[in-house]
Amino acid sequence: MSSNQIKLKIITPEKTVLEEMVDSVTIPTTEGEITILPHHIPLVSGLASGDIVARHGEDVVPMAVSGGFIEVKGVSGVTEVAVLADFAEHVKEISEDAVRAAQARADELKKMKENGEVVDFEHFASELERSLTRVKVADKWRGKKYRI
Amino acid sequence: MAAGKELKRRIKSIKNTKKITKAMELVSASKMKRAISATLASRAYAGYSWEVLQSLAEYVSETQNPLIAGAGTDKTKEKILVVLVTSNRSLCGGYNSQVTRKTIAFIREHAGQTLDFISIGAKGESNLRRLGQNIIASFNDIADAPKLSDIYPIGNYILDLYKKGGYDRVCVAYTDFVSALTQTPQIATLLPVKKDELMETIAEAKQNASKATINYTFEPDYETLMSMIVEKIARMRVYQMILESTASEHSARMLAMKNASDAAGEMIDDLTLAFNKARQAGITQEISEISAGMASVS
Repeated sequence: MSSNQIKLKIITPEKTVLEEMVDSVTIPTTEGEITILPHHIPLVSGLASGDIVARHGEDVVPMAVSGGFIEVKGVSGVTEVAVLADFAEHVKEISEDAVRAAQARADELKKMKENGEVVDFEHFASELERSLTRVKVADKWRGKKYRI
Repeated sequence: MAAGKELKRRIKSIKNTKKITKAMELVSASKMKRAISATLASRAYAGYSWEVLQSLAEYVSETQNPLIAGAGTDKTKEKILVVLVTSNRSLCGGYNSQVTRKTIAFIREHAGQTLDFISIGAKGESNLRRLGQNIIASFNDIADAPKLSDIYPIGNYILDLYKKGGYDRVCVAYTDFVSALTQTPQIATLLPVKKDELMETIAEAKQNASKATINYTFEPDYETLMSMIVEKIARMRVYQMILESTASEHSARMLAMKNASDAAGEMIDDLTLAFNKARQAGITQEISEISAGMASVS
């Protein structure tokens, strides 16, 4: 096992989304976007909504994530990055239809907010955030090349 | 042959019941499979986040964070919020009654303290009402395979109540899924996270793996992160406990239905035997009557 790679794990409460060795990973934290390379110092930070980009040689693996936290630590020479997200989805899983549905849902939710109909605010906020993230990330990666 | 007719009717009705219980058994089995795989998948997150919390807890000095408790709170004056997780439907063996019994024991233990309840599942709600407990909220529309987005609002609601409602402790009464055959009802403390408990597990982990303390960098600052992570973990644990409970519910129901089907099968066998005996006795009697009649004629 080369120590010039990072062990990346993306875990949500529903499943382990990704677990593999990568060269580098770019993560949106609450303090701004950071790229983690091997031998990064141990770090704990909050995770913002956006896209995580894992690089492996020529391959690029983008994932849409929202909410959670990350932990970076070195275990016997190998840098381990654990992303504990509320929600994570590979960009390929976000189909055009899903984006349209998410967009429609986001618009609808926004309208509801304006009309003051929302009772269940917390649920609503996280759903809106999720829909917006989907749309944003899918827009960003449309037409770009990435590994499936 | 009046007895024979009666027996035939009973056999038929039991056969119908057996068909239903058999169908319910199969349905529960497939639901159980799904629930179990969801539970196992969520355990990865649970394990990992707990590990992160442990490594963070080493930095906890005397914290002002209300989500983390030091030692030495007066146990007898606590105001406790209890979340009871049960099923919406019955016909699942002792699943609901076991966790309710555990809750009743808990209520007795904490007699004289203020206990408020949140009920998840219709059965628990009616049980609590019968006990005359104070239910502040009940959620009866949890699906068979709950998704995180279904549970999220409940987790938030509980957190909100804890932070603003003046509760000293939040406990969850749920059923831990051990295997398809064993489920244990449990009452676990959700909040606050006990500092001594964390320290204990850390000490154990250190002895086992001679783990060195890692000097983490915290972004943004430690206190903000810590409360965020504890909140996330609390929400995740609510999700996990509900998953464990649904997995337990389906396996309990499957087992109950399997027992019912088996019992129905046995009953059918017994009744069929009785029916055949009655039929045979009837025939024998008829023959003897006929031959007796013949003997008297000739």
